[in-house]
Amino acid sequence: MELTFKVNGRTQHLELEGHETLLDILRNELSLTGTKEGCREGECGACTVLVNGRAVDSCIYAAMAAHDADVKTVEGLAKNGRLNSLQTAFAESGGVQCGFCTPGFLMMLTALLNKCPKPDRGQVRDALSGNICRCTGYTQIEEAVERCLEEGTIE
Amino acid sequence: MSLLGESLVRTDAAGKLTGEARYTVDYDGKDLLHGSLLRSPVPAGLIKAIDTTVAESLPGVWCVVTAGDVPDTRAGWVLREQPLFARKQLRFEGEPIAGVVADTPEQAKAAVAAIELDIVETQALGDMDTALAEGAPLVHPEWKSYQPASGEDYPRHGNIASELVANSDDVDVAFETADLIVEDEFTSNRQYQAYIEPKSAVGIYRDGRYIIHTGHQYPFNVRDRVAQYLDVRPSQIRVIGHSIGGGFGAKLDTGLEPYAAVLSRYAGGRPVKLVNTRTEDMLICPSRENAVIKIRSALDKQGKLLGRELVCHMDNGAYSGEMAFMPSVIFHLAGSVYRVSNIRVIARLVYTNTAPTGAMRGVSGVYFCAFQERHMDHIADELGIDRREYRLQNLNESGDTLLNGQVLDDADLLRKGFEKMEKVVPWSQLNKHKRPWHGIGICAGTWITNSMPGSAQLKLNEDGTVTVITAATDNGSGAVSMGVTQIVAEHFGLAADEIIVTMPDTDVAGYDGGSQGSRTTHIVGRAAGIAAVELKGMIFDVAAGMLEAGRDDLEMVDGRVGVVGYPDSRISLGDIAMAATWSRGPLSASGSYTSEPVPFNPGCASGMLFPYFPTPTYHIHIAEVEVNPVTGNVRVVRYVVVQEVGRVINPAGVRGQVQGAVTQGIGHVLYESLRIKDARYLERSLEAYRLPLALDIPEVEVITMEHPHPLGPFGAKGVGEPAIILAPATIACAVSDAIGKPFNKIPITPEDVLEAIVEKEKQR
Repeated sequence: MELTFKVNGRTQHLELEGHETLLDILRNELSLTGTKEGCREGECGACTVLVNGRAVDSCIYAAMAAHDADVKTVEGLAKNGRLNSLQTAFAESGGVQCGFCTPGFLMMLTALLNKCPKPDRGQVRDALSGNICRCTGYTQIEEAVERCLEEGTIE
Repeated sequence: MSLLGESLVRTDAAGKLTGEARYTVDYDGKDLLHGSLLRSPVPAGLIKAIDTTVAESLPGVWCVVTAGDVPDTRAGWVLREQPLFARKQLRFEGEPIAGVVADTPEQAKAAVAAIELDIVETQALGDMDTALAEGAPLVHPEWKSYQPASGEDYPRHGNIASELVANSDDVDVAFETADLIVEDEFTSNRQYQAYIEPKSAVGIYRDGRYIIHTGHQYPFNVRDRVAQYLDVRPSQIRVIGHSIGGGFGAKLDTGLEPYAAVLSRYAGGRPVKLVNTRTEDMLICPSRENAVIKIRSALDKQGKLLGRELVCHMDNGAYSGEMAFMPSVIFHLAGSVYRVSNIRVIARLVYTNTAPTGAMRGVSGVYFCAFQERHMDHIADELGIDRREYRLQNLNESGDTLLNGQVLDDADLLRKGFEKMEKVVPWSQLNKHKRPWHGIGICAGTWITNSMPGSAQLKLNEDGTVTVITAATDNGSGAVSMGVTQIVAEHFGLAADEIIVTMPDTDVAGYDGGSQGSRTTHIVGRAAGIAAVELKGMIFDVAAGMLEAGRDDLEMVDGRVGVVGYPDSRISLGDIAMAATWSRGPLSASGSYTSEPVPFNPGCASGMLFPYFPTPTYHIHIAEVEVNPVTGNVRVVRYVVVQEVGRVINPAGVRGQVQGAVTQGIGHVLYESLRIKDARYLERSLEAYRLPLALDIPEVEVITMEHPHPLGPFGAKGVGEPAIILAPATIACAVSDAIGKPFNKIPITPEDVLEAIVEKEKQR
């Protein structure tokens, strides 16, 4: 089966068997290892990516389901080596510790901010109900979103 | 400008935010092969036969390795008891039996499934009572033949893997003369570290040596353990660190590293990667141990503790790892917060046919403090004294000693902590605002800063930046990316981004005791500081020649050296480095540090493998909870921490450690539990294992108490663990207060809460 899709703006053509997950394709075929595997059952959210703007757990998402879609991963956030405003806010707020869950959180929050440009703390927490962070205790991640909103520009 | 106390961004943040950071699971290469392990399907059994013929013939398979192919060794942190692959006896579900290498992970897994295993299942000791029962089979029938990894043997016998006994003379007298005796029994269940990056490792056999890539908390421990397993000298092993996707103690001893190493040798030296599935990871993870503690206190009319008896049984699982140290932790903590003169402590580590337990943040202290603090609440209730007041009456003070005779120089910080807390959260106000289904708790605790040695080599680069070569690991805590980095930058007046810290590499850096026991900022920060002072001396020597000035007339300001009082004379570190490199040679200096040993009484207990309590810190917590009487759910509505830290290096870093540690404590006391049935874990996936989510966790109010330690880097002590030490304690006390029934177990589930409410109603 042929998979044609856009990943971070670049068109990709791949020959697949059909059973592959989107996560495996991103990591193993496209070397986009920023997206992480934590559980392979859609529980931890470390593998979250955007498919046509919607956040999905790529570890349980069939790659073929992304045919013709626009996929965005953590590697697509920074531009020319410059962090975007959400990434910068994460760094400045202390929203990153071990960093393994971070790509998933960034993508989930990117999806939230696209849909709901001014979320309150409760909406942020609701949006993060499928993302596990074992290091930070979440507060500094929630503050990162608020810091990002204060800066005004969401990229 | 000083960088101390500045919330600088951690130096590895950008890489972690863009996906550029490389974790072990991201290791890749054209020549990479994939390994998988056959693990014991039974908790206890005997291997009759293993047939690998079919597995070896499957497509893509390079080799199948079993116990017969590797040296007949036993390895272990404290006791050499664990074989690489089970030879005959199987001691826990998940114990490795064979390893396979193939071109793809799927082929490796298929080959593992094709290994034919003939085993006889035997009686599994699934819990400590069964293991301690008379006539119980031994988990290690050959226990007498085991040798300690170093030093003398220690008290252990049969299914007791390590035993500490301390008996002061007058305990029985204390109980005979007591006005009041209060007794409690507590149980605590296992907690899974649940780092998001499962255990993984890459092994490469090259030039007769083993190279191991792993995101590990303690690379030198990997080196030493792999050397034990493979019966080679430690220097034959090279361990190269990567970003660590969380560890919390589970990545302090070897996991997959020795298997990756030996499998590469059998695959012709090609790199072999092993990654645990989440289920495998949960099966073999050295979780925080389950324990049972009985406490009995003898008191006079005023509530003075005349004597205490404490029996603690801790589940070791099938192999000891570092657990043999833990009975000592119980012993030290038993005298660390409240004055008690006569005490009997029996702490036993018990072998069972379950996954080996191990270190998790705060190790055994977390449940011990919960039990001690619940017991203090119980005594206060019996005496009719306010809980805070009762604690204040019995607090240790400076000059008091631990049970090992160690003098606590600064235990007055406990009382100061209560005072500091009172200013922010007046206890009487909390009591005044109590309402139905609402509870409060206040607890006190101390914790160590682990003394294990560390080292750092600093080199002045020709552009005036400084590289720090160290095997210290940043497990995510910021201890290296904030702590050590900021400490070195401060010494030279450089910016944090002018300090480059290497990833750990045991071929390159000096020994380091790993990210454990809240030690890295304190120990490695100090070691780097020692090196910095020496390097600065060299820089001044060179600068003195360049400036034609006396060495003692020089000062270093913002990375430049000049004559005191003449800012225009200052020359850059880059110019000094260039001059040095091409005249006397490049400049570098080394520093090493381990905490000074503390005087103690070695005769105070038998089996005291961890003899003293290094560099203590002092802490007070308050929790407010609300209980939902319909669902049994507990909500933590307010959580306040007074944490003594020595000196704050990075406030955002400290706050992140406290918030994260309290969150793990909330998880432990309210949600998380690896339950065991028939010697097997019931929870085998993250879907089944309930971790705290953003919706569960309040913002923790963090109040730091600075009390610079004379030998700490700029006074800093350990920060990473203390906040988890008291979180389960404080919440358990608050939940008990909310319902008016004691909760003497961890976790406190909604079912427990509902049951207590029903019982309470019945009593009315």
